Amino acid sequence: MSDQPSCLSVRAFLDCVNETLRLIPSRDFVVEGEVSDFRVAQGKWVSFDLKDEQEEAVLKCFMTAWQLQGGLEDGMRVQVRGYPKVYERYGQFKMNVTEVTPVGEGALRRAYDLLKKKLQEEGLFDVARKRTPPRFPTRIGLITSRDAAAYGDFLRILHSRWSGVSVIHANVHVQGKEAVEEIVSALSVFSALPAVEQPDVIVLTRGGGGLEDLHAFNDERVARAVFSSCVPVVCAVGHERDESLCDFVADVRASTPTHAAECVVPNRQEILFEIASEEQHMERTLQEAIQRGLFVTQRAMQAMGLVMARKQDHLRRARENFVQRSQAWLPKWRERLEGQTRLLRQLDPTRVLSRGYSIVREGSQVLRDACGLEIGSSVRVQLAAGSFDADVTQVNGEGQISLL
Amino acid sequence: MTKKKDLNFAQAFAELEQITQWFDADDNLDLDEGLKKFERGLELASALKKKLGEVENKVEQIKGKFI
Repeated sequence: MSDQPSCLSVRAFLDCVNETLRLIPSRDFVVEGEVSDFRVAQGKWVSFDLKDEQEEAVLKCFMTAWQLQGGLEDGMRVQVRGYPKVYERYGQFKMNVTEVTPVGEGALRRAYDLLKKKLQEEGLFDVARKRTPPRFPTRIGLITSRDAAAYGDFLRILHSRWSGVSVIHANVHVQGKEAVEEIVSALSVFSALPAVEQPDVIVLTRGGGGLEDLHAFNDERVARAVFSSCVPVVCAVGHERDESLCDFVADVRASTPTHAAECVVPNRQEILFEIASEEQHMERTLQEAIQRGLFVTQRAMQAMGLVMARKQDHLRRARENFVQRSQAWLPKWRERLEGQTRLLRQLDPTRVLSRGYSIVREGSQVLRDACGLEIGSSVRVQLAAGSFDADVTQVNGEGQISLL
Repeated sequence: MTKKKDLNFAQAFAELEQITQWFDADDNLDLDEGLKKFERGLELASALKKKLGEVENKVEQIKGKFI
C-alpha cells in the first residue's frame, strides 16, 4: 500500500461504484413505495420517484415504456424490481426498474383503470370490429386450466346443450406468473393452425376471483393477443359482476364459463323445435297450396259439369225432336214400303204360275216364241208346283208376240 | 345427403331455412316444385334431427408452451 491515494477518473470511480452496487443481491428484493413525479419521455422512457410515505426517502426510478405493463400514475403504491445504478452522465443514482407491480386493491384497481382507458383509446374495445362466431361451430378452442372449475362447467353445459363438436383444449394456468405467457401462446397457437384445423371460435375462461387472481386477464399482452386472434374469441372470466380487460376486447363477452357454453353452441331442444316448426310450416304451406289446387279443380269440374249438363240437355231435346219427327215421318215410309212390297208381290212369277200358267225353258233360256223350236228338242216346263221335262213333237204355227 | 356420413350441420340447417323461406316467398307456389322442396326439406330435417340425437362431443388436447 502506498501512502499516496490512487487517482481515478470520474468514470473509473463510478464504474467502481456500479461494480459494488452489483454486489447487492437485487434479485432477492422488491422495493415498495409510492409513485410520484411519473413521466414518460418520447413515449419510450419512463421515470418516476418511489417514496416512503412516513420517512423521507426517495428512490429515483427509470425504465423503458415496453417494460411497463399496465398503468402507472402518481400516488400509486407499487413494488419495483430492478438493479441500482449511477448514471455517469448525470451523476445520478437511479433504480433501473425491470418490473413494476401495483400493490393492494386500490393500486391494482387504479392500474387496471388506466390500462383500460389506454386500450379503449387505442380502439381495442371497438364494437365495430367484433365478429359473430358461427351459430353451429364444429371446432371450439378452449383455453383454460383443466384443474379449474370453469373447465368442467363449460364442458358439462356444452355437452348438455349440443353435440358433434370437437373441443380443442389448451391447458394453461389461469393465474400465477405463467398464466400470461401461456394464454398468449395458446391464442397464437390457435391462430397459427391451418384453416381446416382452426377452431370456429375460441373460449377463454376461468372462474371468479379477486383482481389479483384475474391479473392475467387484465394483462395488456393477453388483451392484445385476444385482439389479434384470427378466430373470434368468447371471453368468460369470473362471476357475473366481474369484468376483465379481455372481456372488453373479446368478440363476445360471457359472464361465466357456463354462459360461455351457452354463447358458443345452441340448445339442442331449441333447434329441434325450430326444425319441427320449419317442417310444420312447409307442410302447412304445401297443404294450403294443395287445397287451393283442389278448390280450383273442383270449380273447374263444376263448370265442366255445367257445360256437360247443358250439352246433355241439348242432346236429349234433339233426340226427342228426332223421335217426334220420325214418328210422323216413318208411317209414311212404311206405307210406301208396303205399297212397293204389294207391287212387287204382284210381279212375282210364282203367283202367275199358281193361276195355272207355266214357264217353258230350253236350257236356261225362257221360251217366248215357238217357232224357234226344233222338233225333238227337249224343254223343261215349270208349274206352280214342280216341273217336268218334255220333248217337242210339233210346232203349231207362228204367233205374234205382243210387246208391252 | 342423408347417406353422406359427415353431414355439415350448419350447411344443412341453412338449406332447410332457405327451403322454408321459399315456401313463404310465393303465394302461388308451384305445386310440383313445392313437393320436391318439401321432400328435400323433410329429408334435411330428419338428417339434422338424427345428427342431434346421436353424436357426442370430443375433447382433444393441443400441444404448446402450456402446462
